[in-house]
Amino acid sequence: MHFTLHIWRQENAHAKGHFEKYEIDNISPDCSFLEMLDQLNEQLVGDKIAHPVCFDNDCREGICGMCGLYINGRPHGNDDGVTTCQLHMRKFTDGDEIWIEPWRAKAFPVVRDLVVDRSAFDKIIQAGGYISVTTGGVPDANTIPIPKYVADQAMDAAECIGCGACVAACKNASAMLFVGAKVSHLGLLPQGQVEHLDRVRNMIVKMDELGFGGCTNTYACEAECPKQIKRQNIARLNREWIGQMFGRDRKN
Amino acid sequence: MVAVLGGFLLIFLLFHMSANLLILLNDGGAAYSAFCNFMGKTIAIRVMEVVLFGALLLHAVVALWLAATNRMSRPVGYHKPQKSKTHTTSKLMMWSGILIFVCLIMHFYDFYMVKIGLVKGEYMVKTEKLQDEEMSGIMQLANQMQMTPSDLVAAMKEEMATMGGDDEEADNYIESITAKIKVMDIVNNAYTNGNISADKKWIHRLNAEEKAVIKEAFPDSDVEPDFYYMARKKFKVWHIVLGYLVFFAVLFVHLTHAFPSAFQTLGLNNYKYNRAIEICGKIYTWVVCLGFAVIPIVIFLSE
Repeated sequence: MHFTLHIWRQENAHAKGHFEKYEIDNISPDCSFLEMLDQLNEQLVGDKIAHPVCFDNDCREGICGMCGLYINGRPHGNDDGVTTCQLHMRKFTDGDEIWIEPWRAKAFPVVRDLVVDRSAFDKIIQAGGYISVTTGGVPDANTIPIPKYVADQAMDAAECIGCGACVAACKNASAMLFVGAKVSHLGLLPQGQVEHLDRVRNMIVKMDELGFGGCTNTYACEAECPKQIKRQNIARLNREWIGQMFGRDRKN
Repeated sequence: MVAVLGGFLLIFLLFHMSANLLILLNDGGAAYSAFCNFMGKTIAIRVMEVVLFGALLLHAVVALWLAATNRMSRPVGYHKPQKSKTHTTSKLMMWSGILIFVCLIMHFYDFYMVKIGLVKGEYMVKTEKLQDEEMSGIMQLANQMQMTPSDLVAAMKEEMATMGGDDEEADNYIESITAKIKVMDIVNNAYTNGNISADKKWIHRLNAEEKAVIKEAFPDSDVEPDFYYMARKKFKVWHIVLGYLVFFAVLFVHLTHAFPSAFQTLGLNNYKYNRAIEICGKIYTWVVCLGFAVIPIVIFLSE
């Protein structure tokens, strides 16, 4: 397969970036999007045309959350429920023009080319996405005093890999789906419930502080999430935010 | 904040729409006028009016502020326009909201400003407020002689002049009731032109001059804006009807997102009720927008 690529090139965080056009040939329809970029980089370095294109990646099986490219107007490209590394070139047609951009958000500054700094997510997690005490090893499922459907909901929310596609897709660059998923996966289980309201408050305050936008219920995040986290997690986050206002008196 | 205020406005819209449907009753405006009279008089409703305007403005201001800060969250935009599957109406909320505001200015010019007296419109008055003994005496006589009250008085005056004598007293009397005679003429005209409600409680379609005359003769008569006939008059003009239909279409776009969105923002939903909320939202939006739209359409087509 043959493609025309328009890739965002940016020397460093402060440099002015621009799109560079590359032609690439002999791409197998079975290779992944990142393998296609590997092939391009080999070509660039081998022929000494340019520095290789920088992009984040690690596990290449859709569970680490490192990779993430904004491909032709969609985070993780033109497929549902996959990360960029799981996107196959057969999803494109031969001769396509492909525009590749980094995540765009105030809280996700570009480091170089297609790599963005997502440590804002880590800061949100540090603000409350944990349980303060040691809860021991994994207990048997039937010894946790919760119904199956609650365990399912917590598990679905825990699928979030923190790739940032929700922020990239959102017209407001809001991190509500990410925070909603974290709050749900910890707060629905008894071990996390004790600190639940404080967690909701601290994580949301941190999220606003870091410059993420607010949610206007467009649900682009839900459409683009590679782990298909549901918008109901955002509703839960909103509900618990209102709940924490009245829920617990920190003084007294 | 936007959701709470918006929810309040949703309730108001439903109320406003159902009240407006009274215009379509074929009773010469009796029910609608009685309703307007009630709305104009009750203290609680006057207070709610202020609350409503406050809520509307705050809803707009907070939403615009949110939109501005949200925009700042992405200083550098994408080159390729977004292609994610999203709710289109949700992205149009700000623009549809601004359009609704523009349409509201038209709406206020047509109706609300008449109420607060900035624009001249048509007025109505309760018949019972215009009755006193002098009035009914002269009215009866005029009816018997099949003359208008002012003609009757003129004739009486002429007769007195031909009879001669000291008529200063009579002149003074006639002078003192001139204003009332004018009112009688207005009432008489209303009867002959059929500008009276079916239950004979209201005299309709008074213009600004007639309003002034009535106010002078009967200071406590409360001449009110005649929204029933103003609506009927306005909705005979095709471009006003079209303007309002565009208004309701924009409102439809705004409400389609607004209803379920308010529930989402307040966290008042779960897996069990999402479908129900969605269906209720659709029913609400269709009922409100069609309910509003049917009024100008029916009036326009029936003339």
